[in-house]
Amino acid sequence: MDNLIMLAFSAFIIENIILSQFLGICPFLGVSTKRSSALGMGMAVIFVMLISSSVTWLLYKYVLEAFDITYMRTIVFILVIASLVQMVETFLKKVSPPLYKALGIYLPLITTNCAVLGVAILNISKEHNFLEMLVYTTFIGLGFLFVMYIFSMLREKLDFAPVPKAFKGAPIALVIAAILAIIFSRFGGII
Amino acid sequence: MNKGLISGLVLLTIGIVCGLLLAVVNYFTAPKIQEVEDAIKYEALAEFYTLADYDLSEVEGSGDFGTIYILKAKTTEGLDAFVYTVNAEGYSGVIEMLIAVNENLEVDGYKVVKQTETPGYGDKIVGHDFNVEIATDLSGFEGVAGASLYSTPAVLEIFQLVADRVEADFGGGLSE
Amino acid sequence: MNNKENFFKGIIKENPLFVSLLGMCPSLAVTTSLENAIGMTLGVFFVLVLSNFIISLIMSNSKLADLVKPVRIPVYIVVIATLVTIVEMVMHAYLPSLYFSLGVFIPLIVVNCIILGRAEAFASSNKPLDSVIDGVGMALGYGLAIMTISIFREFLGNGTLTVWGDLQVNLTFIFDFLKIEPIAMFVQPVGAFLTFGLILATITAIANNHKNKLAKKVANNG
Repeated sequence: MDNLIMLAFSAFIIENIILSQFLGICPFLGVSTKRSSALGMGMAVIFVMLISSSVTWLLYKYVLEAFDITYMRTIVFILVIASLVQMVETFLKKVSPPLYKALGIYLPLITTNCAVLGVAILNISKEHNFLEMLVYTTFIGLGFLFVMYIFSMLREKLDFAPVPKAFKGAPIALVIAAILAIIFSRFGGII
Repeated sequence: MNKGLISGLVLLTIGIVCGLLLAVVNYFTAPKIQEVEDAIKYEALAEFYTLADYDLSEVEGSGDFGTIYILKAKTTEGLDAFVYTVNAEGYSGVIEMLIAVNENLEVDGYKVVKQTETPGYGDKIVGHDFNVEIATDLSGFEGVAGASLYSTPAVLEIFQLVADRVEADFGGGLSE
Repeated sequence: MNNKENFFKGIIKENPLFVSLLGMCPSLAVTTSLENAIGMTLGVFFVLVLSNFIISLIMSNSKLADLVKPVRIPVYIVVIATLVTIVEMVMHAYLPSLYFSLGVFIPLIVVNCIILGRAEAFASSNKPLDSVIDGVGMALGYGLAIMTISIFREFLGNGTLTVWGDLQVNLTFIFDFLKIEPIAMFVQPVGAFLTFGLILATITAIANNHKNKLAKKVANNG
């Protein structure tokens, strides 16, 4: 149990997927201009990440490892993720239109979001068992949502700030991300 | 035939061709990869002992223990030794260490052979020197505590595990 | 567009990293040392050039292209993933130290937007030779960009520049001369964001300056 709590905490803060592992930077800079879109993207990522990590984990353990074709990992994982995203989109459209409305536009963007594939692969290379995989993936996703949300609030304020011309847009966003990264890296001392 | 089906077949064909291609590449690289992984392990052993002076055999460990290497001195003056491969949970995944212990229950050396920390961030544990002088006898296991901020508990756990079983092993339990 | 323009657009005008902001994740993660950046460049170069070539080969055959069109994205993904896996296996076998330091970012070349982006935007509608030239230009542009970032980060953070293996330039005497320590922060995540942000701002400033000059010239002439 202690281990799981440690795992959750380090996945959430210390090993934060954006600020220390550099996965999912594209949506981090691209969709974080408004709070609502940051929330939507974050939710969509958690959702897809959990489903795809579970499926890929099972596939890896019971198909790829069983047939000794682990070198097919990358191909299988990316295809699973791409088709899952499609399925989730169609499914949501039919079953829950309001949820689709909220998450729908972010779903296609997720296929090329390296965070989803990255977490699927990390779960394998860190040799997590199924429970650890679920905890790790959930908290990595929450960490993504958390940082996206904080960042979007900062960027909303930034619209009214007198930013030097050359820093407008991506450069100032990266500098802010650097400051956030300092704060998050200091949490490392807790464990 | 309808178009969708044909497109599906095309995708399937390309998939199979790619799979076969990978199988071929894998056929050539797999032995080399195995060699590389072994080299990392034996290279570590070679840091502790001159391998030519010993007869080397391996035993598969259980639980947290991976392979245990048994080194029997070829000459009478040399000490016999065990090199343990031990796994423990680090702060972000498994840390695998080799620990070399000789007949007099002294730690001759240790090395981290596998860790899954974030690139650039958690690499500390590999590059770090774990203060080898301080940890030369088993009573001084806490000596390595200054190692690395995040991975210390795991490293301590590894040493504890070895300390708990090493005497029994030299008592004859494992020496076969 | 002639071959020369086609080649150079990837390096300067349409630089994938500094201008289009594509492929950010690996460029932040693997730039802790110049050696890692060079290794990543090699990987991206191999995958991008070959994927551009193979995809344009498939798509320039009109019969095959018709069949592939409805499933073209999955086809691209399969081709790219295969190439990436080959890179991964070869690196693991022959360049193990590089393999371990690049870690998860080798398989992640699959989702590097540059590669899928060039496949869809260029290779699918151009001849194989042009696509190869485009791929070489883009990969070099990307490589130069991440090498630039890594030179700053490794020098400021560690005082060294590692080109390949033992081929390392030790510049710590500069720090000794200034009586300061290398700034370790630069090899940590903080440094990645900061360095990239500052380089981007510098590039924007230079581009703006250039634009202003051009505008003035036009105004004077008119």
